[in-house]
Amino acid sequence: MIFRAVEDTDLITRVRQGDVEAFNLLVSRWEKRVFNYLLRLTGDPDDSLDLSQDVFLKAYQNIRKLDDAARFGPWLFRIAHNEAYSHFRKRRPEGGTEDASFLERTPAPGVAPELAIAVAGALGRLTPEQREAVVLKIYQGFRFEEMALILECPVSTVKSRLYTALDLMKTELAPTNTRGIR
Amino acid sequence: MNTCDRAEALRDYAFDELAGDELRSLEQHLATCAHCAADLDRLRLTTAALRVLPDREIPQRIAFVSDKVFRPSPIARFFGSFWNSAARLGFASALVLAVALIVSAYHRPAPVQVVSRSEGVSMAEVQHTVAEAVARVRAEDANFTKAALADAERKHEKENRELMVAVRENLEVMQKRLGVYSELASNEIPRNGMGQ
Repeated sequence: MIFRAVEDTDLITRVRQGDVEAFNLLVSRWEKRVFNYLLRLTGDPDDSLDLSQDVFLKAYQNIRKLDDAARFGPWLFRIAHNEAYSHFRKRRPEGGTEDASFLERTPAPGVAPELAIAVAGALGRLTPEQREAVVLKIYQGFRFEEMALILECPVSTVKSRLYTALDLMKTELAPTNTRGIR
Repeated sequence: MNTCDRAEALRDYAFDELAGDELRSLEQHLATCAHCAADLDRLRLTTAALRVLPDREIPQRIAFVSDKVFRPSPIARFFGSFWNSAARLGFASALVLAVALIVSAYHRPAPVQVVSRSEGVSMAEVQHTVAEAVARVRAEDANFTKAALADAERKHEKENRELMVAVRENLEVMQKRLGVYSELASNEIPRNGMGQ
């Protein structure tokens, strides 16, 4: 008998055969990531939870349309991206969040609260597109190709948004020249 | 600001997006370029600062309940899977095409065999056959002409009869009118005589 970890692709195969419990296992693996992605975009925990449920419901309904089961993550975040922007259009026609305070939250243990506030402020001053690029790369760890799939734009655009955002935040979060170079 | 021409590659390197020769080349470059090394440090400080905001726990776990009412039937799943699978759709199309070919092969009419009879037939037989055919056609033509003439004569006689009837009727009408006129004339002559 060979033991191996159950991959997402195994679960997706079972879900396609109508196994709801396999989908629940898939949800348990991804719900925290999807929720935090939506929370960093919307800033509202209640909205983020509602949107997360909608995301997984749509994923269940459309999982047979997923061509490559190995790309479940980007596909799921593509749905989440669409849900978030649909939510923005309903709430605010211009899209995105306006208030940076939503990002202030309890920092990781051993981190000064001032730094957390500075980070939240720097993120809040970005455009929604730049912030989403930062969230997908820094917090979710997607590769550029995957981000391009999620955002439906070229890799060059993804890089441009991310690097512009980092240049803006670098002046606030890392102002000193660590090696004395000006 | 880093003005080095390797600035973009440096950022790709910071996010582990470089590989192979590009990776080795940039690592060599970093060992010699203080600007890029300082920029890399700042980039890493920035990303480290961003990570001080940890992920939150989801306030409520998401789970789905299987309900037979909403579950697609096995037949619906079977047919639904065809439209979402190019391989299955292709296989089904090939199967239908194969069945159509087999059915077509069984129902195709047998080819007509054309037998050449030119060999072994004498010229006299050909002439005899042609003469018979010509005689038959001529007889048919004569019959047809005879029937057509008889029909035309019948029509002609009928028309003549109708014409004669019409002439007789007209004649009778004319005779009646003539009688009336003559009566009127005989009555008027004495009256004129009396007036003189």
